[in-house]
Amino acid sequence: MAQPDRLERVTDLLLVLLDTNRPLSLREIAERVPGYPEGHDARRQAFERDKKLLRDEGVPVVTASVESEDQTGYSVDPDAYYLPDLGLDPDEQAALNLAVAGVHLGEPIGREALSKLGLGGRWPRRGAPLPLVELPLVDGLPALPALFDAVRTGAVVTFAYRGETRTVDVAGIRFRGGHWYAVGWDRDRGEARTFRVDRIDGLPAAGAAGSSELPGDFDTDGAFAREPWHFGSGDAVEVDVAVDAAEAPQVVTALGPDAVVERSDDGAVVVRLVVTDVEALVSWVLDLLDHAEVLRPPEVRAAVVSRLQSFVVPGAAR
Amino acid sequence: MSPAPDTAGRLRRLLAILTWLAQEGEAPIDDVAARFDLTPNALVAELEMAACYGVPPYSPDQLLEIIVTDETVSTRVGTALARPRRLSPREGLALAASARALLAVPGSDDSGALSRALTKLDRALGGPTVDVELDTPALLDVVRHAVDRGERLAITYYSASSDQTAERTITPRHLFASEGHWYVDAWCEVADGVRRFRVDRIASATPAGPAAPEVLADELPAPGDRPVGPAGSTARGAFVPGPDSRRVRVATDRSMTWLLETIPSAAPVDDPGDRPVWELFVGGDAWLERLLLRLGPDAEVLDPVEDRALAPDAAARILARYGSAPA
Repeated sequence: MAQPDRLERVTDLLLVLLDTNRPLSLREIAERVPGYPEGHDARRQAFERDKKLLRDEGVPVVTASVESEDQTGYSVDPDAYYLPDLGLDPDEQAALNLAVAGVHLGEPIGREALSKLGLGGRWPRRGAPLPLVELPLVDGLPALPALFDAVRTGAVVTFAYRGETRTVDVAGIRFRGGHWYAVGWDRDRGEARTFRVDRIDGLPAAGAAGSSELPGDFDTDGAFAREPWHFGSGDAVEVDVAVDAAEAPQVVTALGPDAVVERSDDGAVVVRLVVTDVEALVSWVLDLLDHAEVLRPPEVRAAVVSRLQSFVVPGAAR
Repeated sequence: MSPAPDTAGRLRRLLAILTWLAQEGEAPIDDVAARFDLTPNALVAELEMAACYGVPPYSPDQLLEIIVTDETVSTRVGTALARPRRLSPREGLALAASARALLAVPGSDDSGALSRALTKLDRALGGPTVDVELDTPALLDVVRHAVDRGERLAITYYSASSDQTAERTITPRHLFASEGHWYVDAWCEVADGVRRFRVDRIASATPAGPAAPEVLADELPAPGDRPVGPAGSTARGAFVPGPDSRRVRVATDRSMTWLLETIPSAAPVDDPGDRPVWELFVGGDAWLERLLLRLGPDAEVLDPVEDRALAPDAAARILARYGSAPA
């Protein structure tokens, strides 16, 4: 007989471990699940690989001591494996289907999650009326699910960020402008901070569930540093920037209409920004070329001029 | 189609199909294949194999009981493998983020069903944890209506790479958000081809009558698979070096690596000591000016040599706006 498919062995193992009302020893498992090798060591090795696969897939394989030569028994805890009914109405199921079909995460994980929840509903046909949103999710961001879980379980996290170790009570994670951010309370600095998730080195280490000391009234939205010039630790300065009609639509979209303090008939605007990192602001203004000009305060204006003068080599003949 | 998954991926997919089928009862093979990203043949092969799984004594809960006919597949409700399962952190994140992202699109949840679904989902996951902010350009609705109704738009568009504002008449076809910005792929009558536009760079848009039927009949592939000429964008997935783009080599301080890494076409080509050399594709002078100003006076264009004047010239032009002569 051909070597049984490993998927068959793993599927059968899952069925057996779910069905049992007492922990099963490896010998009992091998009697019920076809496909394990004969020798003790080979069988143990194959089983350990299957058990790891199931656990990696989120199946809660639990161990208990049993009276057998293996001394250890295995089962799957159904309460930890199955989800209580979410009680979604058919239109709510359809809406979630639409969200998963319309938001591209770079991998099919959303679909798998929907199926895991037991949501029915057909896939929306091509050319569905809703626009599509690309949301880079897990690709290259191994820290993101760990942060998500830390918020969910109220666990403090420790991670390496720009060469320093940070201990943070994370309040929430957010996507904005193409990047994921974690917002929370930085314990070492004693203040609210925003971290870019793609700049976190390695995986965050999470404490126990409930170890977060985040105050109940923490204002995640207020604490979120939305723009590069909010990340500095300098004193907050109000800066007015004139933006011409060419760049105004993009700038107003990015900053929101509330930032606009003046609007001309030709479409030009003046925006007011609160800045804690002048260097970051200067970089942003220069990216707008001669379509933007810092109006006040004079010291920020001077910072732009000085930066520009550094590009112009005195007396250079061209 | 995705590459063939390993055993873990196949198990995940098999369980997903079973759970979904348990809810649906019976479904056309084509529908199931489309949903789970398989060819119909691969789906049938996988399910026919899985129909033999199961262990004695084959109690009703222990059988997979998959029935494959010529056109449909079905399963029995209630098998142990088909009941809803808890989500992993990644899956919970994926689902919550998808729902929040779509909610951030104006007009996407008029019935409120998605908000209600998300509230129930949040409750099961342990509270709201994720937020997604998407830009809402002033003209997003106008563009969206033009897509929905098959209408042309006369637009004023500022191209950041060429630093030009121009009038164009376009037939918007496909609206999508990527890297936090909204884009529309549209038939452009000036270019006589499909072009990609950033919606927040459209200064004005006026309806210009119904679209030509032959333009609407032309089926566009998905945005990620579509080569279109750049119309001022450098976002990942949105930038394709066009026929007019040129290759530029720049040497910078290592501290600028982070900035160059955000540019999709840029790649490090040489690394002598502390000043790595980067090669990138440039679609327009203005685009390179912006980059060089942000990289600082220390960055050096190695070639083409004509581009060495760009940053000083741009700096002088901006200084004129500040009423300062170059020092």
